[in-house]
Amino acid sequence: MTAYAIRRVLWLIPVLWAVATITFFLMHAVPGGPFTQDRALPESVITALNRRYHLDQPLWRQYLTYLWDLLHGDLGLSFRGDRDVSQLIRDGFFVTAQLGILAFLVASFFGLTLGVLSALNQNGPLDYLGVFVATIGAALPNFILATFLIVIFAINLGWFQILGWGGPEHVADLLNPSAWDVKKMVLPVVSLSFLPMAYIARVTRASMLEVLRQDYIRTAHAKGLAQQVVIIRHAIKNAMIPVLTLMGPIAAVLVTGSFIVENIYSIPGVGRQFVEAVIRRDYAMIMGTTLFYAAVVAVANLVVDLLYAVVDPRVRYG
Amino acid sequence: MRAARWLLPLGTLVVLLFVAMACGEDEEGTPTATGTAKPGASPTAAAQAPAAQQQIIVQSGQPEFFDPHRSNFEQDIAISRMLWRGLYQLEATAEGGVQAVPAMAAGEPTVNGAVYTVKLKPGLKWSDGVALTAKDFVYGVQRGCDPDTASPYQYVLGASILGIVGCDEFFGIKGTTDAPKTPTAAEIQAARDAVGIKAKDDTTLEVTLLAPKPTFTTVMSLWAAFPARQDVIEKHGDKWTDPGNIVTNGPFILTGLTAGAGGQVVLEPNPNWALEPKPALRKLTIKFIDDTEAAFRAFQTGELDITVIPAVEIPTVDADAALKSQFLLVGSARIWSVEMQMKNAVLSGTEIGSKGYNVRLALSRAIDRETLNKVVYNGAFLPATYWLVQGLPGFQGNAAFEDQIGYDPAAAKKALSDAGYPNGQGFPTLKLTVLDRPDRKAEGEFLQKNWKDILGIDVTIEAVDAKTRSSTFNSRNFELFMGGWQNDYPDPENSLIGLFDTDGGNNKYDCSDPEIDAKLKAASTEADNATRIKDLQEAETLIVTKLCGAAPVWQGAQPYLVDSKMGGIKPNGQIDAAMPGNWCAECWFVKAQ
Repeated sequence: MTAYAIRRVLWLIPVLWAVATITFFLMHAVPGGPFTQDRALPESVITALNRRYHLDQPLWRQYLTYLWDLLHGDLGLSFRGDRDVSQLIRDGFFVTAQLGILAFLVASFFGLTLGVLSALNQNGPLDYLGVFVATIGAALPNFILATFLIVIFAINLGWFQILGWGGPEHVADLLNPSAWDVKKMVLPVVSLSFLPMAYIARVTRASMLEVLRQDYIRTAHAKGLAQQVVIIRHAIKNAMIPVLTLMGPIAAVLVTGSFIVENIYSIPGVGRQFVEAVIRRDYAMIMGTTLFYAAVVAVANLVVDLLYAVVDPRVRYG
Repeated sequence: MRAARWLLPLGTLVVLLFVAMACGEDEEGTPTATGTAKPGASPTAAAQAPAAQQQIIVQSGQPEFFDPHRSNFEQDIAISRMLWRGLYQLEATAEGGVQAVPAMAAGEPTVNGAVYTVKLKPGLKWSDGVALTAKDFVYGVQRGCDPDTASPYQYVLGASILGIVGCDEFFGIKGTTDAPKTPTAAEIQAARDAVGIKAKDDTTLEVTLLAPKPTFTTVMSLWAAFPARQDVIEKHGDKWTDPGNIVTNGPFILTGLTAGAGGQVVLEPNPNWALEPKPALRKLTIKFIDDTEAAFRAFQTGELDITVIPAVEIPTVDADAALKSQFLLVGSARIWSVEMQMKNAVLSGTEIGSKGYNVRLALSRAIDRETLNKVVYNGAFLPATYWLVQGLPGFQGNAAFEDQIGYDPAAAKKALSDAGYPNGQGFPTLKLTVLDRPDRKAEGEFLQKNWKDILGIDVTIEAVDAKTRSSTFNSRNFELFMGGWQNDYPDPENSLIGLFDTDGGNNKYDCSDPEIDAKLKAASTEADNATRIKDLQEAETLIVTKLCGAAPVWQGAQPYLVDSKMGGIKPNGQIDAAMPGNWCAECWFVKAQ
């Protein structure tokens, strides 16, 4: 499996190169550039700005320069404030990852619990409740949910705050309780986790129902194993395979940020950086965030593939 | 089983987390609004709260640079004005206009032909305690003219506006993209030294212009002419505006920064600020929130003290007595219009009575500006048939133009008929380009319906993102376009010159009319202020009555919510609109509750 993992990691190099190349030429092909604005800057100013950011060079040279810098770990400077793209992504990701991991934990816990309980009580009140919550979660866009939550719990009841992220700004503060302001964290986490929770619950329920009808479950019952043991030891583990397939991309999506949730709660995360970079034609930032996303998605998929082997003994990677 | 083993502790952790979240305390303790005094009350109108409570949180769009010579957008400039101060500063007058008054300068300049001599106030200091001298202003202007700085507002210092001798030559010393030059270090230094600004001594500055300029003090109040510290910039390079490095001469210093969307800056009083008033606020946090809906909700939870709100929320504010008492509508120097490409065969011709003129007249007279403002913008703006906005010297208003280009369906039909398209017969379908945003699309659809109902013509709407829209405009690749102008400084020349002269840099609708050119040329070279204003008024009259590239629709305004605990919000006049009263943020204070 180690060899497989190494091969997959090495495959990341051509994947990232392809992503970088396609993104680079696509972003230069769309109308408007970083200095395009209604009030057209004088030609002399455009010339000076292009020279400052090396946009006066032929596109192929800009591309090669970018690749060369990339090989040296330099993602360039954002046109917005000349800030180092690597640093911006690092800072944004630190916030987004906190939000994403918490949302992932909440979505996983409640999704799995809801799905398992629904399956075990098929067509019972608990099942109907679970299906109802899961359907609402899947049908309700998170900007609508977030707005409801804000109006009810922040504006009317005053329980929570909605401006910014309550987690620490620095890694060193992660274990410092005073660096965590939970009043600012609840609503973004709930808003972000509701949809994935619903999906996890639905897939878990379906998968559990299928597993519960398998012969080996009947055999286990026939052998006199306690219900709890059958469910935990035999049913849940096997039902996890399709759920794991779903959880990989969910984890990747959550830890790379949500433009909508970050925007609604004014959270300085990487999800907003990506969308705003495209809107503003902030070339270095577009490249940096796209490559970052590609890497995260690829790694998340790799982790899921490796977890298959852990959950399902029949899966072997050579 | 392995899965079950980690699920149990994980679930417990999440449940505990939620319990902890629900029990959390409000650490910031942001006070809610209880005061009743209106924003704008003077410092003497209400007692100030103790220093410990002098902390406020303000919304702003996301800025790019805190370097005044690189600032390009109003949110950058708003913060620049808090951190820096020029020789002069702008102040609203009781009559609703704006004037430049001495800031770092001791008084008005001494003028000798095109040479302006300015004395600085004695004893001025930078925030780090180092003396602020005339050399710092020289360095600031030289930096603004330096091609390596690539200042977006270099043209304000160059011949386009102020006309500082040598500024354009220095800026262009490295040539163009097609014809680059590689000057030697000595040549660059010579060009820098040739810029027409000199320090005669520590407190005397001499500025040499290409020609006398009545707007000298106004332009020298702008961010492009702010001073800069050469030693600090050379020491820290591109990081010189970071907290800990930056040295400023305005009422506030920058003590904290989280860059990017959702970030913030923290400002605190500059201990070496020598002018009056001294900032009462101990801490001014500016949050970068581009989504004004999010900001509106944060104001309602008490997490923001000042914010812009979207016009669509005005009815919500009106329906809530507490919010309504904190509502503030401030006029801005933005004129919005239907811009018309004058090289388009259907729209071309500046002669009154020509076919193209009649088409443009029909389009303008079919726009029900009053209803549009009510329906789309909840009455926040001023319906306008003028181009020079209210608050500028020379403002003529709707009275001068309503009868000529204002809403009149019968006149609109007649004009289209005179153009050879009775009831719209044979009229080609035109395209209206708008920003892909709900209010702008609604505005486009309103106009589309006006033109269809009254004129019987079809106009399609092209909604595009901001950069595509700007690119479409700048490449002149449009027929009808929703766009406008926001003044950089409070003078009518800034609204007209460069926008309607044949070779004007911002004349993308290709207005070309000899009479307009002559008036604008006369105004740009006129030394007598009254005559200059009159020339500009006459130019506006020609532009509007000929509908040369633009049919005005409304003058903008910015709706704000200002917590009733706030005092000292002095009006900006009608120029920039990032925050209400940000020209004098040092006047802001928190009232005693």
